[in-house]
Amino acid sequence: MRLNIVIGGKAGQGINKVSEIVSQTLTNQGYFTFNYRDYPSIIRGGHNFNILSISDKKIESHESKLDGIVAMDDNTIKVHEKALKKDSFVIKPDNFLEFGRNLNVALAGALIKILGIDKKILIEEIKEQLNNPESLKAAEKGYESQTKKFDLKKLNNKITILSGSKAVTQGAINSGIDIYFAYPMTPATPVLHELASEQLKHNCLVFQNENEIAVANAALGASFSGAKVMVGTSGGGYDLMTEALSLQGMTEIPLVVYLASRAGPATGIPTYTMQNDLGIALYGGHGEFPRVVIAPGNPIEAIEITNHAFYLAEKFNTASIILSDKHLAESEFSSEEKPSKPLKIKIERPIPGEKKVVKASSYESDKYGYSTEDPFLAKKNADERIKRYEEIKKECKKFEMIKFHGKKDSKNLIIGWGSTSGAIKDAIQDLDAKFLQVLYLKPLSDEIKEQMQKAKKIILVEGNVTGQLGRLLREKTGISIKNRILKYDGRPFRSDELKEEIREVLE
Amino acid sequence: MTQELRTDSPVTWCPGCPNFIILESARKALLNLIKQGYKRENFAMTVGIGCHAKIFDYLDISGIYGLHGRTIPTAMGIKIGNPNLTVLAFAGDGDTYAEGIGHFVHAGRYNTDMTLMVHDNQTFSLTTGQGSPTSQENYKNKAEPLGKSTPPLNPIKLALSSEISFIARCNARDITHTQEVLEKAITHKGFSFIEIIQDCTSFNLDVNKRDKDMYQLNSPCKTKDQALKLADEFDYNIRKGKIPLGIFWQENKKTLTEEWPQLSNLKKKGIGWKDLKR
Repeated sequence: MRLNIVIGGKAGQGINKVSEIVSQTLTNQGYFTFNYRDYPSIIRGGHNFNILSISDKKIESHESKLDGIVAMDDNTIKVHEKALKKDSFVIKPDNFLEFGRNLNVALAGALIKILGIDKKILIEEIKEQLNNPESLKAAEKGYESQTKKFDLKKLNNKITILSGSKAVTQGAINSGIDIYFAYPMTPATPVLHELASEQLKHNCLVFQNENEIAVANAALGASFSGAKVMVGTSGGGYDLMTEALSLQGMTEIPLVVYLASRAGPATGIPTYTMQNDLGIALYGGHGEFPRVVIAPGNPIEAIEITNHAFYLAEKFNTASIILSDKHLAESEFSSEEKPSKPLKIKIERPIPGEKKVVKASSYESDKYGYSTEDPFLAKKNADERIKRYEEIKKECKKFEMIKFHGKKDSKNLIIGWGSTSGAIKDAIQDLDAKFLQVLYLKPLSDEIKEQMQKAKKIILVEGNVTGQLGRLLREKTGISIKNRILKYDGRPFRSDELKEEIREVLE
Repeated sequence: MTQELRTDSPVTWCPGCPNFIILESARKALLNLIKQGYKRENFAMTVGIGCHAKIFDYLDISGIYGLHGRTIPTAMGIKIGNPNLTVLAFAGDGDTYAEGIGHFVHAGRYNTDMTLMVHDNQTFSLTTGQGSPTSQENYKNKAEPLGKSTPPLNPIKLALSSEISFIARCNARDITHTQEVLEKAITHKGFSFIEIIQDCTSFNLDVNKRDKDMYQLNSPCKTKDQALKLADEFDYNIRKGKIPLGIFWQENKKTLTEEWPQLSNLKKKGIGWKDLKR
């Protein structure tokens, strides 16, 4: 069973509340949901929509064909009606305009009825979320205006809903984050907001600096003082941070970077998604120094990987980059899984305030931290920096650097990473294909090469123009992937369309 | 490494460079404060990149040899990482007024309890003498053989309008006065800025040797208008007007540590984040 419903309206009308009420109600009923958010860079007006995908099995994507439209304005119907399947439904705003700002609640009520869920459950949910007489009245009127079209009986799944942003926040809190430095930039901003709202509860600090250059340098300063520090940004802000990233490479002060990419270059399509920043995550910053780049594919992985990032940064005095994007950061996933127990992060390095003087330098330096231009020391230090990377690589083998999904014995190998993983997993459900999800992009698992050598057909699936993971794999394995499915219009893969594209390549 | 805060690192400033004297002033100020109860291990410094920055290797306290222009945010980070540290940021005129100007103008707003010392020799010396924002108009240098076409920036005026809570100017050659002002800057609660007028013995020699134009202020100004007027006495062009030295402005404002309950809590407990029990 799978339904895809568009909920659309103008920015500021509150479409997210509709998704929230319906998703939460469905989750309580034991159904899995996936909510894709599509919004332009507009605060009021325009056309925002969510695609709420519903299933009795785990899903991590949305589809292109629609079972229904919930419209807060007429434009929503105009934009989306051509994607409607036969025998679909449209809930129009016309009958509920009297509810004013509770229009969204009325529409949520209407949708709940269409899905065949009991009114009592809706009322409980509205009480839980809004609890005011106007909202309750709107929900009830909405509910009663429709006739039941589906019959979503209660299932026995215990499900929680989480966005990628909330997951990164949770992972940072699990790791005992002390300070988060950031400058606002979509789609990294939700982590700034989430952590800021949680800071007093968890006794950490969230600080917005004057720009990303200050963010990254202040973060190194604070980490030097012994704090567990994370910074967050998107591509443009990361560009400004790369000079400090290079300073991290030289000073070996631990740093966690949350990089949530969006469609570039430059300002690009700022509220839309693309996996186009793998290159800068891997190579940004001058000089040669080790780092870790990890890309979660869903919120559970994001919780775990954020913790790994803190652990590795502190253990190896390195920079750990958590690579996400708008699609992962802002989509709401549902899951039955629980993240693994977080690793404890211990600070064992010398810090100022203790007896010994501790110096960290952007210059090549001797063992006391004093500048040197000595060729012997320059080479020795460079060798040690690279040697440290080998130790990082060894340690990372303890983690799941790659994951397999689909038919484990299939000779057709699909390779992808990050937020695209959800659509791939859903697309290959009934195909003869095995999906290799790359979580650790630096270091890269040696097993990837073995898998590529064994496969009969390899397909690369990525959300960028040039196949950046493909390029990395060619560099590391010498194997060039000919079959590439790339999407770079700012919109994420929709699993039904991707399924057809993969099927074509397989045939 | 001695108790005198000196190091074994070979000093590579040019012979006769006033940086030697700034180093001595700083060393003496720190030693004096340690005598008065400041903990030596709680001092932390940052430097930018340029001739001034070599002080990092010669002063035996903890710190980060940072990036060009980034000495202020790096120092702020150290302070946010442990509000019990006494943080000093050394910087050059190129560092502060060119590459890092964006950080300087925000420093007053944050009012982090730290001290910034700008070694202002009105030229980029380590890159062989190009014009800096405070170089005099018409300064001929290898990058601007026709002469620098823009008037110099007045850092004291900028600091006053940026609401920096402690603003002073010193003469690098006056070791006693610089030490005295530096001690006052460090003990001041909030962001302290000292502009140190310094000769360069290798480049931009035209602005050197102005000691006879300098005079010391008796006390900080009572109003911003007075302070701005005093700041206008010297416009950083050659041999124009008197050069007032000393504390132009000092006021008590809430510091960054006081603004944030999390940092106030660390300060009260006398610990950094590392020792915070959750």
